[in-house]
Amino acid sequence: MRFFVVMAKEILDNLRDKQTVFYALLFGPILLPVMLGGSIIGSLKQLSVDFDEVTSLSVVNMESAPNLMEFLYSNNIDVEKAPDNPEKAVLRGDVPIVLKVMPDFDEALRAGQPAPLTVYVNEGDKDSTKQGRRVVALLQGYERTINALRLQHRGIDSDVFNSLDISREDVSLDGAGGQMIASLIPFLLIISMVMGGFYLAIDTTAGERERQSLEPLLSLPLNRFELVLGKFGATLCFVALSSILTSISIFFLFKFFPTDIIGGGLNFDGLTITKAFLVASPLIVFISAVLITVSAFTRSSKEAQTYLGILMVIPMAPFFILQFVTIRSELQSMLLPMMSQYQLLERIVLGDVTPPLYIVFSVIGTLASAALLLLVAFKLYSRDRILM
Amino acid sequence: MIDARDLKKAFAKPGASKKSEAVLAVSHVSFTAADGQITGLLGPNGAGKSTTLRMLATLIKPDEGRASIDGFDVRNDVLSVRKQLGYMPHNAGIYPRLTARENVNYFARLCGMTRHDATKRVDELMEQLGMHGFADRRSAGFSQGQRTKVALARALAHRPQTLMLDEPTNGLDVMGTRGLREIIRDLANAGHCVLFSSHIMQEVSALCDHIAIISDGKIAIEDTLEGIKSRTGEEDLEDAFVRAIGESP
Repeated sequence: MRFFVVMAKEILDNLRDKQTVFYALLFGPILLPVMLGGSIIGSLKQLSVDFDEVTSLSVVNMESAPNLMEFLYSNNIDVEKAPDNPEKAVLRGDVPIVLKVMPDFDEALRAGQPAPLTVYVNEGDKDSTKQGRRVVALLQGYERTINALRLQHRGIDSDVFNSLDISREDVSLDGAGGQMIASLIPFLLIISMVMGGFYLAIDTTAGERERQSLEPLLSLPLNRFELVLGKFGATLCFVALSSILTSISIFFLFKFFPTDIIGGGLNFDGLTITKAFLVASPLIVFISAVLITVSAFTRSSKEAQTYLGILMVIPMAPFFILQFVTIRSELQSMLLPMMSQYQLLERIVLGDVTPPLYIVFSVIGTLASAALLLLVAFKLYSRDRILM
Repeated sequence: MIDARDLKKAFAKPGASKKSEAVLAVSHVSFTAADGQITGLLGPNGAGKSTTLRMLATLIKPDEGRASIDGFDVRNDVLSVRKQLGYMPHNAGIYPRLTARENVNYFARLCGMTRHDATKRVDELMEQLGMHGFADRRSAGFSQGQRTKVALARALAHRPQTLMLDEPTNGLDVMGTRGLREIIRDLANAGHCVLFSSHIMQEVSALCDHIAIISDGKIAIEDTLEGIKSRTGEEDLEDAFVRAIGESP
C-alpha cells in the first residue's frame, strides 16, 4: 500500500503549486464554462428572431403605403421616419435597417402590378441581418395576403396556386441551439478533466526527471508499479475533483440559460447532471492514464507540455467532428473512449433513450484502454532509459 | 560490503538504430568496499563512475559481470539490495515545495516505515546531520549545502548498511565539505560501508581508507592510499593517479 504514500505526497506537493491548482480548480470548473456558455448564449440570442419583440423600423416615404404601415404596426413594429440618407445611415449603424417605399408603390399596387419596396440591410452587422430577416418575413406575409385578395377579385380561388401543402415538424424536443448546448456538456467535462490533471501529471513524471529526483526515488526498495500507481492515483484525484467541480458549476450555470433559447426539452436538473457525470466518470481513469503515460515518455516538462498540448486536440476532436457530421451511435463505436461519452452524454442531456448495453460497452472500452495505457507507463518506468 | 566483478555496460548511441553503434561506458570494473571503511572511486569525468554506481544501485542492469551488496546479487535480488543500500546520486534533486523534513519523511515512508517510526527516524537524522535550523522550511531556496544534507538524510532514511555517494561534495563550500567529511567519517566509524565517488584527488586522499582508480571504464588500480603510492612509486596521489591510468607524469 505504499502507493498511498506516493499519492499523498504528490497531492500535497501539487496543492502547493499555484499553476496546478489554478488549472485544476479554477480554469476547467469555472472560467471555461462561463466563457463558453456565455458566448454561446450570446450567439444564439443573435441568431434567433423573436417576432413578439416590439422594435422600431425606419421607413422612407411611409405616407405612400398606409395599409402596409398598419400591417407592420399590428406585427409589433413601430414605424418611424427614416433619416435623410438611408444607405449611409444603415452603413454607419445609426439604424439597423431602412425600408424604402418607392414613389410608384401606390400606383403599381392599384394597377395590379408588382409594387416596389427596398430594404437596406448591412449583412456585415448581425443585428441588421437579424432585423432584415424579420422584416422581409413580415413583408412576404403581407404579399401573400395581397395575392389572395387580387385572385379573389378576379374570381379565382387562391388555393389554385398552392399546389403543395408542406408542413415541417421538428420532432426533437429542443431547437438546434439545444443540440449545441448538449454537446457542450461533454466538451466542458472532458476539457476540465484534462486540465485538472495536466500539470500534476507533468510535474510528477517529466518534472521529476528534470529535477533529478527520480534517480534516488527509483533506488528505493519499492516496486516501480506502486510508484506508477501512486502518481496515477494523485492525477486521478485532481482529474476527479476538477470534473466534479465542473459538474456543479454546469448545474448552476445552466440555471441562467433562458429556456426559450435552449429549448424546453433540455434538462439540466441535478439528476441529469449527476447521470451525465456518472457516464463520463470512466474517462477520469482514462484521461489520468493518458496524462501519466505521455508525460512518462518525455524527458522534460517542456517536452511533456508540447506532446500533451497536441494531445489536447483529441478530447476536442469529437466535439468538432460531431458539429459537422452526424454519427449514428452504434454499439461498436461505444468502445471508443471519449467518442462514446460524447454521444452518450448528448443523449442524456437531450432526454433521448440510452440502451443500457451502450453504457456497458462504453465503460468496458474506456477502462480497458486505461489499463493498457497504465501498463505502458509501467513498462516505461521499468526501462533503464527512464534515467537517461 | 560491496563486491563488484567484471562489470560491463554499453549504451546505445542516442539516435543510433544499430546495436553495433553502442558506446562502451564501463568494462571490467572490479573492486571491493569493506564495512567500516570509506572507499573512494576516483576517476576523471566520463570515466564511468556514475554508470558503475547505477549498476550497483540496481538502476541499470549490467551487460556482463556480477556484483553484490552485503551478499545480495544486484541482478537477481533487487529489492534486498535496495534495502541494504543508501544511494545519493550526482546532483540529486529534492522536492522544492516540500520542507526538508517532508522530503526525508517521504523516503522513510516509501521504504516501508510506519508514520510513527518515520517521524522518529527523521528527527534522529535532523539531529545527526545538524539540520534543525532549516528542517521545517520549504526547500526551494536552500543552499547547495542544505540540499546535499537533505539528499544525504534521504539516502540514510531506511538505516542502510551500505552507502554510496556520487560526487557528494560537488558545489559545496569549504565548510560544507568539511562538515560532510565528518559525517561520512562518523558513518564509517559506526560500521557502515561507504563508497564515495569523486574526481578530486585531495578529497579522496584526505578521506578514503581504500581507493579504486577508474579510467576509461576500467579499474586501473585498487589499494590503500599507501599501497597505491608504493606500487606506482609516486609520493603524491595525483602523480600516482596519472601513472596508474597509463600516462607518464
